[in-house]
Amino acid sequence: MSSGDTPILRTVARFAVPATIWVSVVIFFQGHNLPGGGFIAGVMAAAAGAMYLLAFGTRRAARVRWWKVAVVGLLISVTTGTVPFLLGRTYMDHEIWHFHLPVVGEYELPTATFFDLGVYLIVLGTLMTIFVELSQERL
Amino acid sequence: MPRPDLLLPSIVLLPFAAAALALLLGRRAGGRTGILMVLAAAASFAQALALAVAGWGGAPPVSVTQPWIPSLGVGFALQGDPFGLFFALLVSGIGLLVGVYALAYMPDVGPSRLAQFYAALLAFMGSMLGIALAADLILLFVFWELTSITSFILIGFWYDQDEARHGALTALLVTALGGLAMLAGFLILGLSSGTFSLARLTASPDALARLADSGLLTPALVLILIGALTKSAQWPFHFWLPGAMVAPTPVSTYLHAATMVKAGVFLLGRLLPLFGDAAAWSAVLVPVGLFTFLLGAFQALREHDLKAILARTTVSALGLFTMIYGLRLPGQDALQILSHAAYKGPLFLVAGIVEHATHTRDLRRLGGLRRAMPLTFAVCLVAALSMAGLPPFLGFLAKEALYEALLHLGGAAGALVLGLAVLANAMLFAAVLRLAGGIFLGPPAATVEHAHEASPGLLLPPAVLAGVAAVLGLGAPLAEGLARGFSSAPGHPLHLSLVPAHPGPLLLSLATVALGLLILAGQRALQGPGRLPGMQAVWDRGLDVVVRAAVAFSARWQSGSVRWYFSGTLAFAAGLCILALYGTGLSVLQVPVSLAEMQWYGLALCAMLSASAVMVVRSTTRIGAAIALTSNGFLTALLFVVYRSPDILLTQILIESVSTLFILLVLYFMPPFRPDGFTAFGRLVNLAISLAVGVVMFVFILLATSPALRETRNLAADYLTRSLAEAGGANAVNVIIVDFRAIDTNGEITVLVLVALLVYGLLRARRAA
Repeated sequence: MSSGDTPILRTVARFAVPATIWVSVVIFFQGHNLPGGGFIAGVMAAAAGAMYLLAFGTRRAARVRWWKVAVVGLLISVTTGTVPFLLGRTYMDHEIWHFHLPVVGEYELPTATFFDLGVYLIVLGTLMTIFVELSQERL
Repeated sequence: MPRPDLLLPSIVLLPFAAAALALLLGRRAGGRTGILMVLAAAASFAQALALAVAGWGGAPPVSVTQPWIPSLGVGFALQGDPFGLFFALLVSGIGLLVGVYALAYMPDVGPSRLAQFYAALLAFMGSMLGIALAADLILLFVFWELTSITSFILIGFWYDQDEARHGALTALLVTALGGLAMLAGFLILGLSSGTFSLARLTASPDALARLADSGLLTPALVLILIGALTKSAQWPFHFWLPGAMVAPTPVSTYLHAATMVKAGVFLLGRLLPLFGDAAAWSAVLVPVGLFTFLLGAFQALREHDLKAILARTTVSALGLFTMIYGLRLPGQDALQILSHAAYKGPLFLVAGIVEHATHTRDLRRLGGLRRAMPLTFAVCLVAALSMAGLPPFLGFLAKEALYEALLHLGGAAGALVLGLAVLANAMLFAAVLRLAGGIFLGPPAATVEHAHEASPGLLLPPAVLAGVAAVLGLGAPLAEGLARGFSSAPGHPLHLSLVPAHPGPLLLSLATVALGLLILAGQRALQGPGRLPGMQAVWDRGLDVVVRAAVAFSARWQSGSVRWYFSGTLAFAAGLCILALYGTGLSVLQVPVSLAEMQWYGLALCAMLSASAVMVVRSTTRIGAAIALTSNGFLTALLFVVYRSPDILLTQILIESVSTLFILLVLYFMPPFRPDGFTAFGRLVNLAISLAVGVVMFVFILLATSPALRETRNLAADYLTRSLAEAGGANAVNVIIVDFRAIDTNGEITVLVLVALLVYGLLRARRAA
């Protein structure tokens, strides 16, 4: 695919890519209570990545080994499942941590969030791998 | 020792830890990782010895149990009974010697390959120790399969040779198939008796009585015996063992003479207290064992390759052990196994030394090596005489004890067994004298010109084992004590002495020697050309049929056409749904349908959705179809706006955007679009599948949302109430994904990562090519 030489797309992307990533992070963190979650946020981040790829060319997007992002995500997810197992509970047994933070006040962090983070990275890594690899194909 | 039971897991797991270390150090340490093999074997041997000494004389065996899969009653249970410790001592002791030998023997084939070799050898030793000490059937099975896998790696060490790959694959397939049969037998045994614990099975006769009542005793026993007989290379599964001789000599010695092939026999010893009274026990084991005993000895006389001769005699000896258990003479087991290990081990190692020195293993090209290699000759002579069953070596004591026990059988059947045992022993006598004489006696052959004595590292291990054969032979009371104490049935009578108490066994020994000398004199007559089609050929042909069937099946059903896969998957799913609807008697007619509540915008959306779907099908270009498909997706998203489902709406929009990108990315590489390429029949089939899927989905959704069904069990409300209380999240969809059904998600994300890796690997490889 031709590296983007459309100034309009580049100009838009310069703002839209960071904004989309920011929204994906927000969606990720609100996922436990409001619409969102690791899967959707990952897809959204990948959409941002695709926009970057279209605007600034494949070569810059290919500098990241995206499959490694997916593998790290899988490691995180499996680890969150394994830790309770090693502590003698069932595999994938999640719990909720409560924190008292100085400014925010009471904050709840379910350990499922770490699992969700893994999902986020896997979806992002996998989609970006496919985007980058397909866009480098030549007939 | 404060906690002797902790030595058990240490014995088993230490070699595995050393194997991991060997792999880690591999590139730097190379062949020096063999030192790890020696150290780990020595450590396991010392610990097993400590346990054996502590428990000598009938102290209750130590055991350790860690819950593993408690819901299925499976435990990580190890026990240190005398017979298990005997086997562990054998495995680790010979592992020590083989490790020393391998350090001097293994050629330099590059550091990582050598490290992998030693790692496999270490893992193999750990698995064998696991078999020896396992007190749980499932655990035993796991170690059993591990030995199959590690031995596959070890046999296939020269993987660049066709023969090695073939031998390794045959060994793996035969023993793994047997292992699966054994697992089925274990499952029947464990599920019908309620426990997988060996100790509990042995201790409770009513568990087995329950099995016998259910009529499953014989199937379970036969399945388990298939596992034992394949591992121990009994006819008709004997053919894999000679094929496995392509392995490096230390491996042949360790796996195929001293330890792994004895695992099946060992299992028989473990099972005798359980199944000894079953009718099938003797009916299977005695004929199979006796026939293999004879067959192996006979075939050994017809081989010319040193290792092939030894492999055939090993098959023969394994037949003897099988027969002993079949005859319920477990008092013999430790004696016979020890005696065999103490002569067959050194003979294999000497064969390796001879090949090292002369670069040949062909008996016809060897001869007169005694001058060049006097020490090797001495070691070989001791081992050969022990195998021939001549005094004053351990083999003599073992053979006398065997004849003594067989004499007590009585009856015509007993006489037949005794007569055939004498014949088989005579053939073994001839085979080993032919082997030793052919290598070392006679005029020097051309191959021995540059031969010189072996290095100490090669010579010491066989010398130690031959020394055991000699020392225990001369010290008959010591041998008797060991053989009794380590037997699986210590209570059985066993008397060993160089001076026989009765004339019977001695006369039989004399007859064996006389017959053996006759066979040796006339062995040329056996070398005739005619060979029966062996089991190997039968096996290969069977395997060929399986492969061809698999290829034909794949070519037909796995054609690589995505459209074919889709059609098949959808037709299957729709068919399954129709069956489910039919089976539960659900019908759309039970759902009151009214369009009264339908707003105009809902109807309008539906009309647009239908129109876009028609456009997808009617489009004459791919890009047109893609655009229509995308518009269909976004219209669906609008539907979620109308019906207030923000989570799915978000997902739908994002997925739609991303899949549009995908379509655009691959569109360029797609083959030409030919919508007219279908036959009339093909169009009809497509229509039928599409209709079925559409109608079934429609009915399912209608039923799922109908009030009548919702009242019976409301899954949604159930999840919604549990979501916040149990998982601390108000978004039930996400909570289901990451918490309630996290294990499902775990599987799905693993698949996703695999897809990423595959796409990366395949496309990169294609571009590089």
